[in-house]
Amino acid sequence: MSADEPTVLITVRLPRGARLRDAMDRLELDRDEVDVEYGLVPVDPDDGLYALRVTRAAAVRAGQRPDAEGPFADPRIEPFGPPEPREDD
Amino acid sequence: MRVLIQLRPSPDVVAAVADPATATPAAADVAARLPGVALDEGYTPVALPRPVPTGRDADPLSMDQELDFSLAASDATVLVRGEISDRDFGARLSLLSSARSDVVGVFSDPVIETCPTCGGDPPVGDWRDVGHLLKVADLRAEGLDGDGVPLAVLDTGINAKHVTQVMGEQIKIDAKNSWNPTGVKGKPGEFKVDHGTMCAFDAMIAAPKASVIDIPLLRSQRRGGSALDGLLSDAVAAFAHLRTVLDALPQDSKRLVVSNSWGSFSPAWDFPVGQPGNYSDNAAHPFNVAVASLERAGADVLFAAGNCGRDCRDGRCAYPDRPIVGANSHPSVLSIGGVDVRNERVGYSSQGPGRLSRRKPDICAYTHFSGSKAFGDGEPDSGTSAACPVAAGVVAAIRTKWPVSKLSPAQLRTFIQRTADDRADAGFDFDYGFGILDVMGVLQALQRRAKRVS
Repeated sequence: MSADEPTVLITVRLPRGARLRDAMDRLELDRDEVDVEYGLVPVDPDDGLYALRVTRAAAVRAGQRPDAEGPFADPRIEPFGPPEPREDD
Repeated sequence: MRVLIQLRPSPDVVAAVADPATATPAAADVAARLPGVALDEGYTPVALPRPVPTGRDADPLSMDQELDFSLAASDATVLVRGEISDRDFGARLSLLSSARSDVVGVFSDPVIETCPTCGGDPPVGDWRDVGHLLKVADLRAEGLDGDGVPLAVLDTGINAKHVTQVMGEQIKIDAKNSWNPTGVKGKPGEFKVDHGTMCAFDAMIAAPKASVIDIPLLRSQRRGGSALDGLLSDAVAAFAHLRTVLDALPQDSKRLVVSNSWGSFSPAWDFPVGQPGNYSDNAAHPFNVAVASLERAGADVLFAAGNCGRDCRDGRCAYPDRPIVGANSHPSVLSIGGVDVRNERVGYSSQGPGRLSRRKPDICAYTHFSGSKAFGDGEPDSGTSAACPVAAGVVAAIRTKWPVSKLSPAQLRTFIQRTADDRADAGFDFDYGFGILDVMGVLQALQRRAKRVS
């Protein structure tokens, strides 16, 4: 998948120690739909909850499966400082 | 309406009020009963001099000429303070003047406030003042300097050389546990001097010996963002990495402090509130779950409250209300607002209620002081961006001798909230939270706990 393609997050429940390949197989995702560099990220390892960064279309499809949830927003984040003046100031 | 009432009592009363050598008579003795006025008996009457024109044949009613001011008993008047009901205010004023011939005038007494510190203002105090207010000497005397405590700074990366040079104290970068998001190049402690360097410096004020984990979260290269931003998914990955760091620590010395001086400024980057995938208002978003999971595992997580305070909010703020959003308002974190070293809330510090948890910010810590010089000489360490690592440094200092096995993150948060120096309204308020971080209060509470436990 292209580095410039907008992405969203999905989550999936898998056994502890799961790998990206396991998640892609479970959710029937292709390599070009998944940010493989980002990989499979444990969100709550105690609860077997993992996240993937995928294309929006793939997220909508995967999110319909009972063992997955999403799409979730992946908003931009920025430092809180120094405070920038408002344009009308 | 609150009013000032100008009276002309008898000359002996005026003389008693005006004479600094004698005890000033009480308001009730000067004004007696003023019909329709709730007199403020706690307000000491003030003598007001009479303006007297200096020139012969001057206009006795003009203030626009050379004047002398006479406090002579026959000239001066006296001010008292009170309140007149807003209902039929005009009629009450007329009746007061007709009932009391000694009432010279009634004037409004509006609320006056200081101007809060805002973005672009020069520094207020310096980092040594902050150290003094944080009782760093007392912390060190107790052996609480952060030695051996992992302190993660999730930001733009740290320049260790700059921090060491400006502070005069060697920063300890924990290179082994530092981590870069996908695509971010650079070595721990060797990033360009910027926001992350400021955060590391400010954390070191109270915890100079902490082991700083450098996570350049805001240098993500994806989606053509600006040079200094990132994606929330990178924060999910960073928290997953920190979980492995925490899990690798021995149980009896487990502790990890996580300082986050960043957030999301605009709902335009999020899914709408109410959609299941929304971040700002949704505890089930993967990042909010990751925050709860890391805290439950034993991490102290701190987030800046943000710079969207009503007095002078950051130009990037796009939430129309309740700007403390997502993890910055998570119930399992300490949300940190900002005050200057005069203990006044800075005007840009975001006010609650928060979106995930209403009672935000939790507390305030110091900001807008001359510190790291990361943005140049004369530029302050500012924003709640600086307040957050200042507070994180105190938490790291405390953790030197208080690992999670002795004090859980939730317990430490409660101590910090309960001992905060209460400001504004009594108890919690949406400007200061529970108040300003009070290090001595926390230390005394911990000492009491240690006695109880032993």
